[in-house]
Amino acid sequence: MDIEITGGRIFYTFPFDIPILGKFQITETLLVSWVVMLLITGLCIWLTHDLKVEKISKRQAVAELLVETANKFVIGNMGEKFSYMIPFVAALFATSVVSNLISLIGLRSPTADLSTEAAWAIVVFTMITAQKIKTNGFGGYLKGFTTPIKIMTPFNILSELATPISMACRHFGNILSGVVINGLIYAALALASSKLFGLIPGIVGSVLSKIPFLDVGIPAILSVYFDWFSGIMQAFIFCMLTVMYIANAAEE
Amino acid sequence: MQVQELVGIVPWTFVAQICNLFIQMYLVKRFLFKPVNEMLQKRREMADAQIQDAQKAKEEAIAMKTEYEQNMQQAKEKASSIVTEAQKTASLQSEEILKTAAQEAWAMKEKAESDIAQEKRKAVNEVKNEIGGMAMEIAGKVIEREIKEEDHAKLIDEFISNVGEAS
Repeated sequence: MDIEITGGRIFYTFPFDIPILGKFQITETLLVSWVVMLLITGLCIWLTHDLKVEKISKRQAVAELLVETANKFVIGNMGEKFSYMIPFVAALFATSVVSNLISLIGLRSPTADLSTEAAWAIVVFTMITAQKIKTNGFGGYLKGFTTPIKIMTPFNILSELATPISMACRHFGNILSGVVINGLIYAALALASSKLFGLIPGIVGSVLSKIPFLDVGIPAILSVYFDWFSGIMQAFIFCMLTVMYIANAAEE
Repeated sequence: MQVQELVGIVPWTFVAQICNLFIQMYLVKRFLFKPVNEMLQKRREMADAQIQDAQKAKEEAIAMKTEYEQNMQQAKEKASSIVTEAQKTASLQSEEILKTAAQEAWAMKEKAESDIAQEKRKAVNEVKNEIGGMAMEIAGKVIEREIKEEDHAKLIDEFISNVGEAS
């Protein structure tokens, strides 16, 4: 039995070729991303319709809790002056969590595509760099690479570049490992199932062995770690790093 | 169906995901943070207003209490002054009344005494006049007639009876 674990499917490729970017493709990643965005936006709209000042509903309590948590997270780690970052960090966290968990309903996580994490990491990296330049000035930013001694410059540049790469790869690797291991487990259990029911003689055995009974339930135990824990953890780590890097960049 | 590489960056997806992130940021801001923050702001304002109202009410209550206490104090003072005044007036009046009564009594007593004295004098005078008159009458009668034995007796009887009448 051959197992193939591949990237997301490509549904449609537009015929025009644009330099550098290549042909525009509607990939599984993009489609599921849009589903994720719709889900988050729908959830936001559902949570915040009919807000009241007094005698709030449970729904409103959840909305308030989310907003308060986001406020506390960003302001607690970055300080009051970064309150404009709250929606960005919240969107990043929400997108990451929902993208990671959407694999639970059988869709392919957009975060199982390095393009997604690379995009986020580049945005965060741009923000960090912009913040550094804002704090120290452009000269100060460039000078920062030569500290503590000039010979360290290549390493400093390397470590600077390592920031987005490590952020992207950490998140991607964790989610991809979940995808790979889930794929392996499903295939292995299907194989075990067909062998097990193949032991039953006659036509009953040959029919039952076609159905992967062992795939029901057992992968859910692993999904507790690979989808739930890892998914939420990586989203949290990504946001935490974003917040910490930008807050550090703001320090003189 | 075509598939993309397991590990790799698709440029268009990369660009699209950057856009998606910012669109998502706008959507979250617009549909979650804006309404909730507005509502929280409104609630904060309401709480502030309520606290201010409560403070105002408290101040008013304190002012009212002070005023009430002042009024009470004033009323008490006024009452005590009225009572003192009344007591003073009453004692004055009673003294006056007593004095007047004593004077009146004394005057009445004087008048009665003088009346009694006058009556007494009058009575004495009358008795004197009567006796004088009677003496004159007797003398007249004695002179008018010759005094006889029997006349004598008669005269004495007459006199006596006259006296009796006069008395």
